[in-house]
Amino acid sequence: MGREINWPRWRLALIGGVIVLTVLLVAIFAPQVAPYGPLDLDVAQMLSPPTAAHPLGTDELGRDVLSRAIFATRVSMQVAFTAALLGLVVGTVIGVLAAYFGGWLDLVLMRFMEVLFSFPAILLAVVLMAALGTSVFNAMLAIGIIFIPGFSRLARAATQAVMRQQYVEAAQAIGMGHTRIIAREVLPNIIAPLLVEAAAAFSYAILLESMLSFLGLGAQPPDPSWGNMISTGRGFMAQAPWISVVPGCAIFLTVLGFNLVGDGLRDAFDPHLRD
Amino acid sequence: MSNPFIEIRNVSKTFGGGMFRGPGVAAVEGVSLAVPRGQTLGIVGESGSGKSTLLRIVLGLTRPSAGQVLIGGQDIASLRGTALRDFRRRVQPVFQNPASSFNPRQTIRAILRAPLEVHGIGTGRERDARIDALLGHVGLGPEFAERLPHQLSGGQKQRVAIARAIILDPQVVLADEPTSALDVSVQAQVLRLFARIQAELGLTTLFVSHNLAVIRQVSHQVAVMQHGRLVEFGPAEQVFRAPREDYTRRLIAAVPDPRHAFARKEALA
Repeated sequence: MGREINWPRWRLALIGGVIVLTVLLVAIFAPQVAPYGPLDLDVAQMLSPPTAAHPLGTDELGRDVLSRAIFATRVSMQVAFTAALLGLVVGTVIGVLAAYFGGWLDLVLMRFMEVLFSFPAILLAVVLMAALGTSVFNAMLAIGIIFIPGFSRLARAATQAVMRQQYVEAAQAIGMGHTRIIAREVLPNIIAPLLVEAAAAFSYAILLESMLSFLGLGAQPPDPSWGNMISTGRGFMAQAPWISVVPGCAIFLTVLGFNLVGDGLRDAFDPHLRD
Repeated sequence: MSNPFIEIRNVSKTFGGGMFRGPGVAAVEGVSLAVPRGQTLGIVGESGSGKSTLLRIVLGLTRPSAGQVLIGGQDIASLRGTALRDFRRRVQPVFQNPASSFNPRQTIRAILRAPLEVHGIGTGRERDARIDALLGHVGLGPEFAERLPHQLSGGQKQRVAIARAIILDPQVVLADEPTSALDVSVQAQVLRLFARIQAELGLTTLFVSHNLAVIRQVSHQVAVMQHGRLVEFGPAEQVFRAPREDYTRRLIAAVPDPRHAFARKEALA
């Protein structure tokens, strides 16, 4: 509020912000930014190392690795955004209802969340994908479902803290209905930690989507995704390491960027760190 | 006295417990009290004596395990629909902790507007006018309306809490330690405001406190509670001058300097 911003403290978050912004812009403007289409073949230049024509080399079919990595950004962002949103919304609804109404509803919802939580994330995703079938949409769904228990626990704990506040009692005492109490008194006071969690979920979703694609469960070839690019590149590590290294670096940088932003958000919302 | 406005009949509340979990904890046990219209009943007792639980029961936020509460002759447990809404309009609380009484993300205006919105009273402009007038009435300027709770001092927050409690024109105000979190000098001001508004609106009031000097200042009748039970109940002067029970005598003796407390009462009168 009119104060000087303490830049050194926010330096990392700022770097993260720049990365995130770049990645988002690249995803949106992929057709404009990429030098080639993701499926364009250059059969004369198969497994070419980086050249002026192909700055980051070509793959085993002569497709431009840079262009494929750029188009793959779209899949990653779509999946991560939808999955994080799904986890945030469904998890928050479940957590708030469990904490607000308590009793047997709390018991049933939370035991169900614990069952979901007890599966290793990747195993659960693979099982869900096996059940739902392999597609980008199902990858979003599977990853989103993985996030639901985490968000629901966070939302439940935060709601329980708010329910102990006297302003909730005051709202009940004036006869305010449940929906209105949740919308006016509860949600605005629990949203900050949930948004921080959503940023963390976003970067984890990028990793999970890459893993699923690597296992052949996400985006299907020939559509590019970072995971399936690494997977195909694996066979050419000796002759053409760039096929795997480029999407690997893309994953690393993007996840780093979102994590830095997430940490920055957490600090910004943490009253103990306010200077 | 023949026709009390608030009647608490043999109310008990047990927390926890159940078929397999043992007997639970009795917070309130067999308490009966009666308050005539327009009077203030002070409830004293140390922490954990069940006084706040009793207040929540009268407020209708906690269901008693046994017994009844009647307000204006109506059993509050039987209220549904419109009757319940009407009860919520007529019975309002003022809470103990000014720090947690208000949603930290809403302005004072939004906080004071909520009761009017819930009960559909007035147009937008009428509501704003009522809020401004009421803020003036509790000794705050209209400029406070646009502030957030954390920008107010404890005393100012309790003034807003009183404003919120009376904005619906209630008949009953239930105050749970409304001054215990405040400095002594501010306590006196808020108590004076409370007493003035109580008299102006003819409110029937339950006033819970562990502070005997405060209770003596605002109450017509006094109830003393210990471990969830009613120990003594009678007109304020009688309880203070000639306590019948040993526990009451010890409570009064425990006030650091009674003469000082009484002197302050006179100074405020």
